[in-house]
Amino acid sequence: MNMTGIIFSETYGEDLDVFTHDRNLAAIPFGGRYRLVDFVLSNMVNSGINNVGVLAKQHYHSLMDHLANNQEWDLNRKNGGLLLLPPFASEAVNHNNRGKLDELRNALNYLEQSNSQYVLLADAYVVYNMDYRPMLQAHIDSGADVTIAATHEPDGSTKVYPSVLQADRSGRVVSYALNTTARPGDYVGMGCLIIAKQLLTSAIQELTAKGIYHLERDFIQHDFNRGKLTLNMFPFEGVCLRIRDVDSYFRSSMAIIDESVGAPLFRGDRPVFTRVTDEIPTYYGPECNVSSCVVADGCVLEGTVDNCVFSRGVRVCKGAVVKNCIIMQGSTVGEGAQLENVIVDKWANITAGAQLKGLATNPVIIRKGAVV
Amino acid sequence: MIERKKECIAMLLAGGQGSRLYVLTEDTAKPAVPFGGKYRIIDFSLSNCVNSGIDTVGILTQYQPLELNDYIGNGQPWDLNRNFGGAHVLPPYTRAKHSDWYKGTASAIYQNIAFVDRYNPKYVVMLSGDHIYKMDYHKMLEFHKAKGSECTIAVIDVSPAEATRMGIMSTDENMAITDFEEKPKQPKSCHASMGVYVFTWDVLKQYLIADEADPDSENDFGKNIIPSFLKDGRAMYAYPFEGYWKDVGTLPSLWEANMDLLDPADPLKIHDTSWKIYARNYASPSTRIDPAAKVANSLIAEGCVIRGKVTHSVIYTGCVIEEGASVTGAVIMPNTIVKKGADVNYAIVGERCVIEENAVIGEKPDGGDPFTHNGIAVVGHRKTIASGTVIKPNEIV
Repeated sequence: MNMTGIIFSETYGEDLDVFTHDRNLAAIPFGGRYRLVDFVLSNMVNSGINNVGVLAKQHYHSLMDHLANNQEWDLNRKNGGLLLLPPFASEAVNHNNRGKLDELRNALNYLEQSNSQYVLLADAYVVYNMDYRPMLQAHIDSGADVTIAATHEPDGSTKVYPSVLQADRSGRVVSYALNTTARPGDYVGMGCLIIAKQLLTSAIQELTAKGIYHLERDFIQHDFNRGKLTLNMFPFEGVCLRIRDVDSYFRSSMAIIDESVGAPLFRGDRPVFTRVTDEIPTYYGPECNVSSCVVADGCVLEGTVDNCVFSRGVRVCKGAVVKNCIIMQGSTVGEGAQLENVIVDKWANITAGAQLKGLATNPVIIRKGAVV
Repeated sequence: MIERKKECIAMLLAGGQGSRLYVLTEDTAKPAVPFGGKYRIIDFSLSNCVNSGIDTVGILTQYQPLELNDYIGNGQPWDLNRNFGGAHVLPPYTRAKHSDWYKGTASAIYQNIAFVDRYNPKYVVMLSGDHIYKMDYHKMLEFHKAKGSECTIAVIDVSPAEATRMGIMSTDENMAITDFEEKPKQPKSCHASMGVYVFTWDVLKQYLIADEADPDSENDFGKNIIPSFLKDGRAMYAYPFEGYWKDVGTLPSLWEANMDLLDPADPLKIHDTSWKIYARNYASPSTRIDPAAKVANSLIAEGCVIRGKVTHSVIYTGCVIEEGASVTGAVIMPNTIVKKGADVNYAIVGERCVIEENAVIGEKPDGGDPFTHNGIAVVGHRKTIASGTVIKPNEIV
């Protein structure tokens, strides 16, 4: 594979502070047994990319722990493999998220040493299952400088997206806007682009030397608007979930319970890999009442649960009623507790009889390790 | 130069056919038979080794080794991918002179003396890959050393009725073995051998060499090596084990051992994460329980889609139970599909089977106790059971 993968594991304008207190965006649990990074990383592996650098800046212990045994992704290689790229102890450490170019500067050596001609830059906040090989082919065929993967929005959207594109029939981008809503027929970027390594590395060097760090605004948009950069759009028609705030996290998590969303994400021919923790299969108690749930290994479910996503090792005790909730790894819901529209982070303990009720539009969030 | 060595390594006998599991071992060795939702039988012995601090395991294979070889791979799932030591699959091999299959358990070890000697161990733990249990072999090794034993055999106390089907040790008050009988009609003791041995290697090696040279020997540990040790008055002790131990060599015992995982008392302590059982992982997604599903008292592994009714059952990785299907008291092995309206009761269904619509497998018992039955119905691996077929209790397909 003539392409190196780079994953941005930090937040860039996403509002997920409640989950990123002691982990970065890529390490946020999602979909039961996964972390957000698993989706783009598995996409890369399933596309034959075996050179992956993961850029990390802050709170990356959780991510390191998750990726430590890169064997799960078959990335324990002599040639290539997976490399976590934290910053050098330079001035960059003292600045929070100046921009992706700043982080990419830390990966310059890594990029220059790789033999690939192309680089795939991917954000971790987007959840989808995609083969990048046709995208690379489309990039080469188009002759464009940059190819951006995007979803078509026939009805437009009132939501603001990081990048919104308009393209002609051939896929040539005619308009590239940042932080705006999509009008009917627009395409919305998936935080995933392909660029020639040579072009990327010279941009990193030139721009960061001038103190310019914003990849999309100061390089792609800037050069595109001045006719110095040609952009190609690669349309993606599968399930694409953008996790950018608590609302989209909650909705996306709930969405995967539905087979029409869950099945295309977790396909047998392109599995999503994650860290193995050797939990035992989930036990469903004699009096449990479980419907519409996504359940990872190692849970013990003895109460009533409806429309929930359970990570590994969750315990729901007898008499508890849990509805429209996301319960992360190792958390316990005590006897008779009643939860509705609640997101419970890892290792929390909801004591017996507790009652927590959020709104579908505004779920209650219980922090990691909290006792309620 | 002083060479690296290991104090203790393990040799795991995984070459047996397991003929009493019939269709389940038709094309795979018994240790590779799936168990408990996400495991294979051999995972228990391998995990016990690693959890006991034994990082070198020779796995002796002979019968249908393909699946087992593939499963063990480089030993990584059990942390047995080591630079010095680790998991090694040891099939029979040809030599310049006298090439042979493994004629018996003793001959299997004899043919691999060179493997053991590479690690120059003081002790060797001998295991079989067909039991479900959690055991600390390190404690047994300490017992072996403390007693000055040359051969220590782990024993578990069984009822007199069970004793007639097992290898029984008679011991003195110090647990020194005074007699050994295979399947005695009148058992003199209730200490049954668990098929777990610790030998002092240099002593065992002499006996293996002598045994191989004896044309009348069956080259079997139980029939030849242990009696020779006894006859010669070697230091032999029985190590009493308390806890759950189950031979899953028969279809009813395999079914029972699966059902034991549903026992709220958790006799195997499978939920005890301080002694984890490791298994090879196949990247299955989380299990989806649909709105129409009804699930009770069951163990369900990852990668399943449950739309039907599942009660008192163990459902392995990647199974689909369709809407209107009912599964009770059943063991459904990996990647099997139970289609609409199918009724599976008190049965073992092998991996990658398709149970077509309205097929009926096994039957519900009349009594109220969910764990008594009229006989287990068994469907072998990769079978398709046609729509409307009825498979009776005790029937094996």
